[in-house]
Amino acid sequence: MRYLKIIFSLILINLLDKEIASITYPYFIIFPLTFLGYSFYVYKSNSNIGSSEAFFTGLFIDLISDSFLGLNAIFFCLITYFINIYANVFKLFSYLQICIFFGLSSSAYVGLSQMIINIWNFSYVTLFMSALFNIILCILIAILSAYLPYFTKPRL
Amino acid sequence: MARISPTRGQKLIFIIYILLGVGILYLDIISNNFQSVKNGFKSFKISSSYFLNQITIEQIKKLAERSKSKKFLIKENEMLKEALDLSYLNNYLISKENNFYKDHEIIKYAAQDKNYQSSYKIAQLRSFDPNTFNCCDRHRMFVEVISDNNEDFNEFMVFNASGIIGQIIHTNKYSEVLLLTDISHYTPIKSSTNDFFCNAQGSGRSEIIICTYNPSVEDQEIIAGHIFYTSGLGGIYPKDIEIGKVDKVIKIDSTTVELEIKLSANPVSNDLLGVIKY
Repeated sequence: MRYLKIIFSLILINLLDKEIASITYPYFIIFPLTFLGYSFYVYKSNSNIGSSEAFFTGLFIDLISDSFLGLNAIFFCLITYFINIYANVFKLFSYLQICIFFGLSSSAYVGLSQMIINIWNFSYVTLFMSALFNIILCILIAILSAYLPYFTKPRL
Repeated sequence: MARISPTRGQKLIFIIYILLGVGILYLDIISNNFQSVKNGFKSFKISSSYFLNQITIEQIKKLAERSKSKKFLIKENEMLKEALDLSYLNNYLISKENNFYKDHEIIKYAAQDKNYQSSYKIAQLRSFDPNTFNCCDRHRMFVEVISDNNEDFNEFMVFNASGIIGQIIHTNKYSEVLLLTDISHYTPIKSSTNDFFCNAQGSGRSEIIICTYNPSVEDQEIIAGHIFYTSGLGGIYPKDIEIGKVDKVIKIDSTTVELEIKLSANPVSNDLLGVIKY
């Protein structure tokens, strides 16, 4: 039941992701909301997320977003792996450090996925703009979380 | 509560899954092994969204129409719009004054040619992702060809009122259209003077295809604004149909020049499309 809830949430986030992409893309910005949403779920989870859960969730996202099969499966496995390893270390980090981690990981996602799905028109401008945008946005969310904890507290 | 660090076995399973993902990704990029799975899922997605749309949004719309007592007018308007779209498609194919043809008299020869099929099938646009179209290399759309028979529409040309937009590459309940701008698509084209031929590759950008040639081999110099036509050499598209105009001429080095050709046809300009086999 919990897994179905996650899948349903990711479907909705993916739809929102597509809507946002059409707005941000003309400004050379790619905001990987589905990837960040999943990362947030893994980060906030009380227990470690299994590799098979990460893999099949990624594969499902590949199917619904019509990208190459395996693309999101790899990234979801990688981010789950890193978050599982550093889950306890994150507690020693400041908000800023965590924001930079998620901002940079989403930039890595943008860069690597663009290298696979858009190699002919790969743009460094898009990569740098996306990195900047994602890091700033993560910091803004962290500030929101610090000042308005009631509204941003996860209820998963 | 502290989370337990993954054990060596768990890390190993992660690595196995990542390698499996890399394998699947590699297979998907180099082959069409997963195409049927993807198309099946796509068909399911389109059908279910169509069904959900019919039972929710359309019902609300109908209710609003009834309350306004304009149902008849709306229906008539829809019919007129459809008839107008059809007339645009017909015009594209049969009009002697057609601007798309290089040779305006071509229709006379076509009528004499026994291989020419005057009829074409109508297709409705069912799915098109504008984000992928604007950002990425894969430019595809899904259409539903209106036909009673269970025909295979592979290699059928797809056009709309503004010109050729691509070809069907996979037929299921919905047919997948490979657009001219997809990087895996090559369109055989020629210049208006019939002395310059080229295979123009899709650029992965909307409305642009790219033709690369060696200027030391070609006598003719191509400048911006030059019109290109289909050469008919690929066997999919008929010859002498306008494809687009040269937008930019980029000199890569002394032996390579790239022509960026802006297409005449926009794939999203109309929901109603024509499908024909030449």
